[in-house]
Amino acid sequence: MAPRSRRKPAAAPKITDRDPQLLRRIYEVMVLTRAVEDRMVAMYRGGDLLGSFYSGHWHEAISVGAASTLRPDDYLAPIHRDLGAHLWRGMEPWQVMASFMGKATSPTGGRDGTLHYGRLDLNIYNLPSHIPANFPVATGMAFAAKYRGEDRVCLAFCGDGSTSRADFHEALTLSSVLKLPNVFVIENNQYAYSTPLRMTSNSETLSAKAVAYGIPGVTVDGTDALAVHDAVAEAVARARAGDGPSIVEGITMRMHGHAEHDPADYVAKELYEEYAKKDPVELYENVLLKAGVIDDDTVKQVREETRQVAIAARRKSLADPMPDPSNIEDGVYAD
Amino acid sequence: MPTKNDNPTYLDAVSAALDAEMERDPDVFLIGEDVGQFGGAFKVTKGFLDKFGPRRVVDTPIAETGFTGLAAGAALVGLRPVVEFQFADFISCAFDPIINVLARHHWRTGDAMPVTMRAPFGARLRAGPTHSQSVESYFAHVPGLKIVMPGTPEDAAGLLISAIRDNNPTLYLENKYLYRRLRAAGPLSLDPIPLGQAKVVREGRDVTLVTYSAGVSQGVEVAEELDKDGISVEVVDVRTLVPLDVETIANSVRKTSRAVVLHEAAKRLGYGAEIAATIQEECFWHLDQPVVRIAAKNTPTPTSPPLEDAVIPQPAEIAETLRKVARA
Repeated sequence: MAPRSRRKPAAAPKITDRDPQLLRRIYEVMVLTRAVEDRMVAMYRGGDLLGSFYSGHWHEAISVGAASTLRPDDYLAPIHRDLGAHLWRGMEPWQVMASFMGKATSPTGGRDGTLHYGRLDLNIYNLPSHIPANFPVATGMAFAAKYRGEDRVCLAFCGDGSTSRADFHEALTLSSVLKLPNVFVIENNQYAYSTPLRMTSNSETLSAKAVAYGIPGVTVDGTDALAVHDAVAEAVARARAGDGPSIVEGITMRMHGHAEHDPADYVAKELYEEYAKKDPVELYENVLLKAGVIDDDTVKQVREETRQVAIAARRKSLADPMPDPSNIEDGVYAD
Repeated sequence: MPTKNDNPTYLDAVSAALDAEMERDPDVFLIGEDVGQFGGAFKVTKGFLDKFGPRRVVDTPIAETGFTGLAAGAALVGLRPVVEFQFADFISCAFDPIINVLARHHWRTGDAMPVTMRAPFGARLRAGPTHSQSVESYFAHVPGLKIVMPGTPEDAAGLLISAIRDNNPTLYLENKYLYRRLRAAGPLSLDPIPLGQAKVVREGRDVTLVTYSAGVSQGVEVAEELDKDGISVEVVDVRTLVPLDVETIANSVRKTSRAVVLHEAAKRLGYGAEIAATIQEECFWHLDQPVVRIAAKNTPTPTSPPLEDAVIPQPAEIAETLRKVARA
């Protein structure tokens, strides 16, 4: 059997045939993601944060492109490169900053912190450090939807490094055998911390792994928001129709270190130079400008508004209180 | 609600409790290896697939990490999964989702993950180093898990019902040696027995034997023998290791002033260490003797009968220890 993995999704609709409001919303959330993360990089450098900052620079097209295919009642199991998916769902930027500061107002009230945030009221799973531990959990949320006869799907993200772990394989095996409404998005940023992809996978592509599970797998340009959106939308439709899971791989580049403490000097300069020309936010902005979906004034306005949101978010989260340790033993067990 | 069977086994009790909870709550489902078509490796779920269908009785690939994580996700959004590990020895394959996902999710987020994890464990079936393990101590150290270890058919039923209704990830360890060897005194009640309540299963004056699971029937048998020599042993079945009913244990030890702890798990950092330390903290001034632990040797569990018998606590050792502590 020939691999069903392929480089390009089915013929993409013309930009003029797409919903301009959706296009605009994807743009706004991508720009907001960049603005908040730029601000948080500065906060890391300025000493505002507890530990390091794990950014999603150059992941915006994958994160927002994928999340924008979902309904609000669909489940989402993101990772630490997916601020964009969180913001798409309605996570507040100040909550994320509060998480990185251990504040009482963070989604976990400071009990967990940094990149471990989520909100069940937004149908977002809050993951532990052991990525892709969120993959088996995502099969469970999809299982529950199917169990109840609902047409909700669960979309989970992981990185290239995650595909080596047993829980990746076990989740894909279970989801494909049980035909669960899952979509698995692999954010291939070419590095697992310091280890390059060629040392972590012998597969031609990461989506080629789909062949082993008998499910569709596709690799797209992860700096192209619409390419990601279209590929994931196809996978979501398939899952919603009851036809089981798919893998979508988006190739991008991790333009910062594993986190901000990491200078990532193990990455070849040429790779940075190549991807510096492929900023997903700029690329998408240009697509929309060229198609007349937005104009220069919109760009200025959105960039300025998101910058102000990031500034206000920092002010609020800095002023927020630290948690009270007196109740630390509460909630180890649910009532 | 008594069941039809007059003297159900420990295994019948587990089955009956599962069946009753599945009938009562449509959100309860079973998931694990060979639980459906095959009825489970020990036949605990025999007939369940026919009765409840493949939607609620889910056979899985050999993927303990996968299906434990699946259960966590399903529980997070409102279902009540009952996971079966074919042997407790295989639960190590699911250590990651149990420790890092299930145990701490509620504390981290305030959202519950009510998963019941059933696992047949224990020695004396000559099953060797990777089919005979007692795994309770691996998990008792981790905040956020409850651990239930019934020693009688009556408790097996009532505690499993409570475990399934509990809103926390709960490890329910079935002693596979007892499955077909222990029978209830009469028809089973399927009323829940609260977690966190120890039980004085035999009253006595001279020494308290604190134990759980197979240690309960074993301990009572030895106590009856010692009675003939005028040694009166009180046997306390802790029933749930987490939460631990310190009060019932302490009340008994304050009465007898002597305590022996018994379990089948290896001695070093076995749960007996926790019980002994707790007794020392709670009852130091009441004790006539140091608390003594009876446990397996600090080796893996061997296969061959003379070897396994040399490692696992035997009635003679239990009797001798109790006699010594009671008379010292």
